[in-house]
Amino acid sequence: MEHDIKYAVELIGINKTFPGGVQANRDVTLKIREGEVHGLLGENGAGKSTIMNILYGFLSKDSGRIIIRGEEVEPKSPQDAIDRGVGMVHQHFKLIPPLTVTENVILGLEPSSKKPDRNNSLAVITATLLALFVLSFFLPPFEFLITAALLLAAIVLILYPPRVFENLMASTRFRAAFEKLVSDVRPLGFDDAAKKIQQIANENGLAVDPYAKVENLSVGLQQRVEVIKTLYREADILILDEPTSVLTPQEVDELFVTLEAFKKSGKTIILITHKLREPMALCDRISVLRDGVLVGTVKKDETSAEELAQMMVGRPVVFTVEKPPATPGSIILNVENLKVKDHRGLPKVRGVSFQVRAGEILGIAGVEGNGQTELVEALVGLRKPSDGTILVGDIHTTGKSPRFVREAGVSHIPEDRHRRGLILPFTIEENLTLGRHYRPPFISRPGILDLDKFRSVSSKLVNDYSIKGGGGGSLTSTLSGGNQQKLVVARELESGPKLLVAAQPTRGLDVGATEFIHKTLISMRNQGVAILLVSAELDEIRTLADHIIVMFDGRIVGEKRPEETDAQELGLLMAGHLEGEESVEVVN
Amino acid sequence: MIEDNLQDNRDQSDGGQTGLRANVERIRLNLVERAEEWPGPIKSIVLAFTKLLTWAFWKPLIWALFSVVLAAIISAIIMEISGYNSLEAFSALIFGALTRFDRVLFESTPLIFAGLSVAFVFKAGLFNIGAEGQLYMGSMAAAILGYIIPLPYGIHPLVCLATGALAGALWGFLPGLLKAYRGAHEVVTTMMLSYTAILFTQWLAAGPLKEPGEFQWNAQTTLILETAQLPILWGYYLHAGFLLAIVCVIGVAFVLNRTVLGFEMRAVGFNEAAAETAGIDSKKNVALALGIGGGLAGLAGASEILGTHHRFYNSWSPGLGFEGITVAVLGNNNPFGCLLAAIFFGFLKAGGNAMHQQAHVPIEMVGVMQGLVVLFVAAPRFIQWIADQSLDYGKWFSVDKIRPISFALNMIIALYGTYFSFILLGETQLGLMFIGISAAVSILSIAAFFMIFARNSRGFIVSLIASMCWFTLAAVGMGAGVDVSFMILVGLVQAVLSVLALLLVKGAGKSKGDGA
Repeated sequence: MEHDIKYAVELIGINKTFPGGVQANRDVTLKIREGEVHGLLGENGAGKSTIMNILYGFLSKDSGRIIIRGEEVEPKSPQDAIDRGVGMVHQHFKLIPPLTVTENVILGLEPSSKKPDRNNSLAVITATLLALFVLSFFLPPFEFLITAALLLAAIVLILYPPRVFENLMASTRFRAAFEKLVSDVRPLGFDDAAKKIQQIANENGLAVDPYAKVENLSVGLQQRVEVIKTLYREADILILDEPTSVLTPQEVDELFVTLEAFKKSGKTIILITHKLREPMALCDRISVLRDGVLVGTVKKDETSAEELAQMMVGRPVVFTVEKPPATPGSIILNVENLKVKDHRGLPKVRGVSFQVRAGEILGIAGVEGNGQTELVEALVGLRKPSDGTILVGDIHTTGKSPRFVREAGVSHIPEDRHRRGLILPFTIEENLTLGRHYRPPFISRPGILDLDKFRSVSSKLVNDYSIKGGGGGSLTSTLSGGNQQKLVVARELESGPKLLVAAQPTRGLDVGATEFIHKTLISMRNQGVAILLVSAELDEIRTLADHIIVMFDGRIVGEKRPEETDAQELGLLMAGHLEGEESVEVVN
Repeated sequence: MIEDNLQDNRDQSDGGQTGLRANVERIRLNLVERAEEWPGPIKSIVLAFTKLLTWAFWKPLIWALFSVVLAAIISAIIMEISGYNSLEAFSALIFGALTRFDRVLFESTPLIFAGLSVAFVFKAGLFNIGAEGQLYMGSMAAAILGYIIPLPYGIHPLVCLATGALAGALWGFLPGLLKAYRGAHEVVTTMMLSYTAILFTQWLAAGPLKEPGEFQWNAQTTLILETAQLPILWGYYLHAGFLLAIVCVIGVAFVLNRTVLGFEMRAVGFNEAAAETAGIDSKKNVALALGIGGGLAGLAGASEILGTHHRFYNSWSPGLGFEGITVAVLGNNNPFGCLLAAIFFGFLKAGGNAMHQQAHVPIEMVGVMQGLVVLFVAAPRFIQWIADQSLDYGKWFSVDKIRPISFALNMIIALYGTYFSFILLGETQLGLMFIGISAAVSILSIAAFFMIFARNSRGFIVSLIASMCWFTLAAVGMGAGVDVSFMILVGLVQAVLSVLALLLVKGAGKSKGDGA
């Protein structure tokens, strides 16, 4: 039986150790069948992305074999993989925002137009004539005539390569070399490319305007552009790295429809994910990685979410969080009519008011980009609000510096741990003390750091929060995503805050780390800390929050208690359907 | 025991065995663990020592050494091609520098300051391109204070140095403020302000502060008072500025690693957004970092004036501030690295004179060497590539003998061809045709060398073409009536070797000579 199955990709005995000693893949053998949707499941740092990047030629393997459709390959660069029909959509899109969709898609294989666009040829000819006009002043008449003739002949040859000339070059190799040489100076054929993109988009149900600028597209559409990019390169083995982590529930559904269509048309899809729901909904077979080792490959029909979770984490997982009823105390955070503008001066938060009490969690739900980021930045002092007041306890923190806000008792788990949360080239010790480094106990006398204290405090925190991946002296960049986030949480909670602003605290984290952080947040709440939780994950908001407010377009469009509402209603609010309009919108 | 391990660890840059590195790491962790139980001062010393055992400490050092060796090889080739005896030149350089070590340290003194200036600012994520201007401001301030106010011995130089540092600091603080509060890019502002400073001090020296008296070739200020001069420590040149430089090295290392200020600066330098989120005022730190960097450059100028020149001359500095950038690059922006790098450059400068006198190599060769070192340090990928390829060859050689040897022979002949054709480039009397073909041969040979080194079998075809060119060259040379037997010999050897290698590679049934 086994030898009848055709494999699209075989990865045999792949080993990969990163400089710094982290072994990301240990003797991983993966076989992906032609035409299946294969899920690659694992926690963060399990080596899922690593092995796919090896297949795609981004990383080199230490040992092992890669076979794509029976052909053994040594991908040295992504081009080698692309040539063999492998396409990858990365978690962080590789797009250039100011360029149009077409320009982004053709990047790297800019087509030269066989039939030149009229505008382009006109431009080239005008430029040539201008150059000749200028030259006529500098050259004696005879030489000018010769130059002009040569230049015009060259332009004509480049724009309209005659048959005869092509036939003269009998050897295809020389012709290819010539073509390559000439294509660099020929005008680009944007129109043809745009047409082809439009065609691909229509065939696969990926509607997108080829002339739109990428920076104006939503995240979901940008992902479409990435998919189109692979299709344009005629990929039929598609690797999608955490494709749903940036999408709204509705966009996820659309993506799944697209992937179903791909599967029907015979493409092979590899879906990298750490969310259990997705492979169960979409995949034929699922491989689970843990700590760089392949735990096993199972058929979807023969498994369950619980079994997968256990394979992933190595132990049974509790999906719900124990949460005793809240005992709200006094008001800790009082926001009145807050208005904030973004860096371009556009209003992003248009007057919001809310309170958070001690010992309760207020969840802010909403699709990303509806003002949550700016709201959080204003609360912690990183952005000056244009109007309104913020009171922490009875301290005015409106427009004050981040250090002032911190000293008023506010801790902040930033939404982007790499950009705002951590200094990756710092050691774990240094990151754990960041923000408190300037006051006792971390200084021995004014201005002088007490490095012993750094060490002892951080080794305690590393233990308490079980941050794995080296002692306090190792670099933060060597930690996996989950452990990095644990580090941020540890630091922010250790300063003993009155108010914790947690923005997307579990983004990109695996089941185990998410569970840990949820438990920690709940226990902080029980100790009487006021928590403001901003998250794009509805499930997270619904399990953790005592109150939910929904933000849309910089305003609060709904205020609910989690037990009074459901995902459906919140989803509609997040999409901007105000209460009362629901029925109308649903009919539409 | 530990020393041996260190030695091995160093050697492994070429050997690349991870076993040793793991061993050393185990020893280090062991030491750190045990050190926790020891009393305060011993503990900190041991902990500092354990840092020496990390790969992170040795890697840049090996990198720098490797670059130095590579630069020496290439400069030797250049010297040989230009008709100098490289062996004699190097021995003169090394011997000359060693016998006049006071001069080495003297030459390195301003470079230490300038290197520290650039490195310190770099730690805060900024580029201080304008150390030269800050140095001029510092030197002018020190020169003025040196002669206008009389002060007692001991105090006078200190006051002058402090003023010089202050002047440099102000000149660095200005672009710092512009960067922090107006976003003006510091590369542009420091660079431009540097020229402003040079011209401003020139005007001062030629105008208001010009030494009264007879006509001067080069504008200069009045000689500083004897009380303001820095004492000579050793030999004819080395003045107390060197001690100050050492103090500054230690001070900068302390500030960067052990103080709140340095912690915040490094935080801002690595990730400004995260530092701000953690409540660090990044604007303040940016301005301060450039100010302190300017102060260090100012000290360089002040100590040179007080220790050596004893007055401000127009354009007295031969670009010491700009050399500071190269020092910082070679020193990996580490204070102690800067110290070593500056002494190395001082070594080259001091030895360069001897090299010029004894081996008659132009003094500019020292500049070439400096440039090459920095080039190789700044191009780690190239070195990495060479190291990886060499390593691959080692592995390949252990499984296969004939093909690697034929590859190696081809590389040797290609290299020799490059060298020989470079020499022929000098034979201008043989006409344009001859020169043109030898230029082609040298380019082809270099290309062939690197292609074969990268184990690309097309390199052999290039090598074959190069050998044909040798025959053409011989034909042209015969017409001009020179002895061409050697060219024919090289061409023949190259042709035979490349054809043999091609046959071997084809015999293996692969287009690429792949070791695995």
